[in-house]
Amino acid sequence: MTRGLWDRETVALMLIAAYLPLAAMWLRYGGVAAALDFVAILLVLAGWQLVFLLVRAQAPSLSAIASALAIAMLMPEELGPLRVILGVSFGTVMGELVFGGWGRNVVHPATIALAFLGFGFPGFDWPDILLPAAWAAIPAGLIGVVAGIMPWPVIAGAVLIGAGGVALGFDLNAVLPAAALVLVLLVADPVTSAATTLGRWLNGLLYGFLVILFATGWNGAAPVQIAVSAALLATLAAPVLDEAAIALWRANRRRRHGKP
Amino acid sequence: MDVTEEAGITGPPGEPLRVVPLVEEGAMVAQGAPVARLRDHPETCLVAPMPGRVAHVRLLAGHRLSEIVLFREAGGDRKVHDGGAGAGAIRALMQGAGFWPLLRKRPFGGMPPPGETPAAIVVMAADTRPLAADPRQALEGREEDFGRGLEALVGLTEGPVFVCHEPGPSLIEKGAGGGRVKAVLCGRRHPQGLAGWRIHDLFPARIEAPVWEVHAEDVAGLGELLETGLVPESRLVHVAGPSLRESRLVRTQPGADLRGLTQHVALPGAHMLLSGSPLDGRPAHWLAPRDRQVSAMPRPRPPAKQHWIKAALTRSGLPAPVIPTAALTQAFGAALPATAMVRALTAGDEEAAMSLGVLSLLEDDLALADYILGGEAHLRGLLRGMLERIETELAA
Repeated sequence: MTRGLWDRETVALMLIAAYLPLAAMWLRYGGVAAALDFVAILLVLAGWQLVFLLVRAQAPSLSAIASALAIAMLMPEELGPLRVILGVSFGTVMGELVFGGWGRNVVHPATIALAFLGFGFPGFDWPDILLPAAWAAIPAGLIGVVAGIMPWPVIAGAVLIGAGGVALGFDLNAVLPAAALVLVLLVADPVTSAATTLGRWLNGLLYGFLVILFATGWNGAAPVQIAVSAALLATLAAPVLDEAAIALWRANRRRRHGKP
Repeated sequence: MDVTEEAGITGPPGEPLRVVPLVEEGAMVAQGAPVARLRDHPETCLVAPMPGRVAHVRLLAGHRLSEIVLFREAGGDRKVHDGGAGAGAIRALMQGAGFWPLLRKRPFGGMPPPGETPAAIVVMAADTRPLAADPRQALEGREEDFGRGLEALVGLTEGPVFVCHEPGPSLIEKGAGGGRVKAVLCGRRHPQGLAGWRIHDLFPARIEAPVWEVHAEDVAGLGELLETGLVPESRLVHVAGPSLRESRLVRTQPGADLRGLTQHVALPGAHMLLSGSPLDGRPAHWLAPRDRQVSAMPRPRPPAKQHWIKAALTRSGLPAPVIPTAALTQAFGAALPATAMVRALTAGDEEAAMSLGVLSLLEDDLALADYILGGEAHLRGLLRGMLERIETELAA
């Protein structure tokens, strides 16, 4: 049989391709220090992939590059190597590898790592998002959607509710760059976002709603903190949203065709 | 007409049929004469696609049919089958004249049991498979036969008869079959023209409400059979593929020799001949009963032997996880929650899969999904296993 190309590693490669504009902007302004962070995190991830390859015979995945980029761009500043290694290890092992590797995970490993780093070590400042990097989220999202690897309803739902929030007069200027970046890096992940069309819309809407809720009601929270928290909660809700969407689909079908 | 010198009579793909041969090796047979009948349903026959001499009859253990091969004898007879009016007579004629293997039932696939009354019949006048010929071409000039065949199909079911075709002039007259014949438009993109997705959309098959599927050209053939008593001699087959110099649209006999159809146009080099499309075809020697395509594909090289360390380190992760992408959704025709269906199939969750409509589907319908996933997901095998489990549970 001839073979198509949408296996796991192609999707991982396409995801990396989509993130290239983001990475370029981030490295352009972050310089050598940012690049070193990224490489260090990637080494930790690769180390754990190797451990799971040898111990559990679990094939490694290039998606680690995308995770490393997300963590490096969004993690709190000046944590020191030990804390970073601890947080990244927790994220990739508990978030991805124990479930059987990328494609079988429930939560994005970068989301787990960031939540661990941010809430485990509260004394450190969350990073400020560079505006050029945030603008680069637009081409990243576009590439992802056109290639079909990012679920467009998630992005559309989040953008829709964000626009609605701005139109209603909420002050979202501070949080928008971080929210856009987290949307393409963590929320619009093909594996851990919802998998049905309706579920994806709800997933995006929920993320946008949580961002607005935190931005208006959570005093003293940094923009990235708000966005990462919203991403974590939205990801955890994704299976419920899917289940609801499938139940609705079944009910519709039963109404059309009678008994299943 | 482009008839090959040899022809092979085989059963539908899947479990081989248990048959009783009705001819001896070396005997002469007329076109349309029965050559074997089913052991369990003696009224259902397989017939000779051309007049000829029986070269050999090959049976597997347990009277299961492997193949019956004929050599063509020019100027042979055609057997005239006696028809009759009424649904029962038409059914008997269809079974006796070898028309039954051209039907396929859902759920579970294969030819329907002789006494079954389908809840609906879907006539496919559309084919979106890669390299497929347009079924409308096969119907040109046979509108009357097609109409007569549809009337006969209406008599076999108490439900609707759907005629699926791509946008274009309608193939049926208004009010045909007492209003039970309905025209349905389907899209031009694969897999929209596959029977499984049309049945999933129009009339989901259930265990107690089976749905039959038949190709439009065979319906025209049925009309011809009812009018003249003669079994159709030919079918329109598209011979194509990357291993051929040019593609050919030929009228050839059912069960034609695939090498005979390709020998003058094949490019040098190793190739394999598939009965069916490049996506869902099976390597074969003879054109299978329902197939209208022959695909000549370069023979894939045998996979290089992996180093034992690499094999040991990657084997346990198989099958590789399926990442939900837009490509996967489209491969399922955007007709159902694709990820949920893939999960139900890989986990063997029959209840969830049935509620998503797995009973309307067969292996062909998942061939595109298997293709886009790089051949690592083996959804077709999982689907077949699940259907077999459901069937045995039902029988128990």
